[in-house]
Amino acid sequence: MVRLITHNLLACHVKGCTANNFPLEFKDVQVVLRESEFNPDFLRGFIPKIDWAALTGAARQLGDTSLPDQLPEMLDDDFLKTLHHVLLEIHVEEGIMICPNCKHNYHIANGIPNMLLAEHEIG
Amino acid sequence: MPGYLLVFAQSHSEFRLPELQSVAELLGFALSIPTDCDPSRPFMTLELQSEEQARLLAGRCILIKSIYALYAQGGNYEELHAANGANIHLWSSYANDTSFKFIVTGYNHKIPEARQRDVVEGFDYMRFMGKIDLKNPEIILGCFEEYDSSAGQAITRHDRDSQFRQVYFGRLVVEGSARALIKMFDIKKRLYYGNTSMESEISLLMANQALASPSKLIYDPFCGTGSMAYPIAYFGAQFFGSDIDGRQMRGKGGKDQPPGVLRAAEQYGVADRIVDLCTFDVTHNPWRCGSLFDTIVTDPPYGVRAGAKRLGRKKEIDEARKAVNLEQQLSARHKHEPYIPPTKPYELSLLASDLVILARYLLKPGGRLVFFLPTVNEHYEAVDIQTMLCDGMVLVANSLQDFGSWGRRLVTIRKATEGSYPPPSFSEERNLGQHTPGHRDFREQYFRGFKKE
Repeated sequence: MVRLITHNLLACHVKGCTANNFPLEFKDVQVVLRESEFNPDFLRGFIPKIDWAALTGAARQLGDTSLPDQLPEMLDDDFLKTLHHVLLEIHVEEGIMICPNCKHNYHIANGIPNMLLAEHEIG
Repeated sequence: MPGYLLVFAQSHSEFRLPELQSVAELLGFALSIPTDCDPSRPFMTLELQSEEQARLLAGRCILIKSIYALYAQGGNYEELHAANGANIHLWSSYANDTSFKFIVTGYNHKIPEARQRDVVEGFDYMRFMGKIDLKNPEIILGCFEEYDSSAGQAITRHDRDSQFRQVYFGRLVVEGSARALIKMFDIKKRLYYGNTSMESEISLLMANQALASPSKLIYDPFCGTGSMAYPIAYFGAQFFGSDIDGRQMRGKGGKDQPPGVLRAAEQYGVADRIVDLCTFDVTHNPWRCGSLFDTIVTDPPYGVRAGAKRLGRKKEIDEARKAVNLEQQLSARHKHEPYIPPTKPYELSLLASDLVILARYLLKPGGRLVFFLPTVNEHYEAVDIQTMLCDGMVLVANSLQDFGSWGRRLVTIRKATEGSYPPPSFSEERNLGQHTPGHRDFREQYFRGFKKE
């Protein structure tokens, strides 16, 4: 936890920060790899929601270059297994996620990201 | 189609039919519920395509105790035996040499042993020649007398005997195996729980309403100690939880062990399906886009044990104090110190209506919102639920768990639209219409003992 599937869904939500607020950049991370059950149906259902550039970017930032630059048209099992590993098996346990726009730091402690906003950051 | 007799567990009668229909939908077959069906009664007769369907239902419905192939029913034994005699084709194949056992039981009544024997002997005409085997019979034949509740009746058990409303007879197809999950998920044996954790039977019922199954993504925005996470993940779905209070999800383990919710999930062998847990206020959420989830399932805090909270301040403060606070916040953040922003109460009827609009945004088309809404029984009106709905969201089920003066309603709503809608504004100064629902300011009503002001 934080897995890259989650990272792919979280945008900075500070008041007024509505452009260039995704994807958040990782910093000072501790990464743990954990094997998880392969579920091709789940992946096929989730693929339309993925921001591909954000996913490959985040994976590379964490040292994983296994994904192609473009989402392939053929979703064979080899590809789905690679995608499964990147989306669900890489866990960021500690670190910071930084908004590329407003530079807000979202801290990750013990695998749980703190996405709470401070008083001056809410509408 | 062959007829079956569904024998339900006694409790949660309003949940029986919604659960049955949800599980059938999940398993992918249609049920034709008789129009005169009365789910407040613990026996339901139903036509099913096959015994296989009966097995599947009994393997997943928490409230099904057993399912019998129905041979006959009647208002008295004459009717029962006449109908049973006419249905000889249903049971004649067992008559020659199948070992069997008879059970005779009453609902709302204990049948004296002597008459139980009489009842069994009454079936002599079936000429079952097989061995009577009380331990390992090949088939079990059941005879059920259904009595109305004796509450308030000045009548002795002796006089009540045989005064049943309906009697049913059939062959056991399957015992409800899903009921064993209630014990398996018992909170007392859970490695991590809190005072707001939900009893396992109800959380399992919610998981069934949520149509939890493999390859679904299911979200609880008031995750707390994770009561919903475990049954949802157990049924194969991927679970995502968030809560404004991270301490609820973490527990007191500190840095040296996984968060509490994950420890309990590990105990059930489902930690892998807890995709992530996040700390945020759902009224200020970071979701990048909508149409993400198959189901949103949640038990929002409604103020008895813990009140719902959102970011903000109860009372506005002056500019000078605001400036001091801002400085403190920034310096805490700079030094990476934990900083806990102020929160204020989140009134229940606002929360409920926000939740429906949020679900319309975050759910995939056809997805479900399943949540508990506490209501004051005296003040509740059906329109309370209707006014909560918004364009595109349709009520599927509404089941009361009754605690006397108040209760909580498990509300199931479906996103019946392909259209895309904006996220809710979460504004507090919006007009909720003319109608004041019975759950408005539930917390205040609760602590007033539900008396009028």
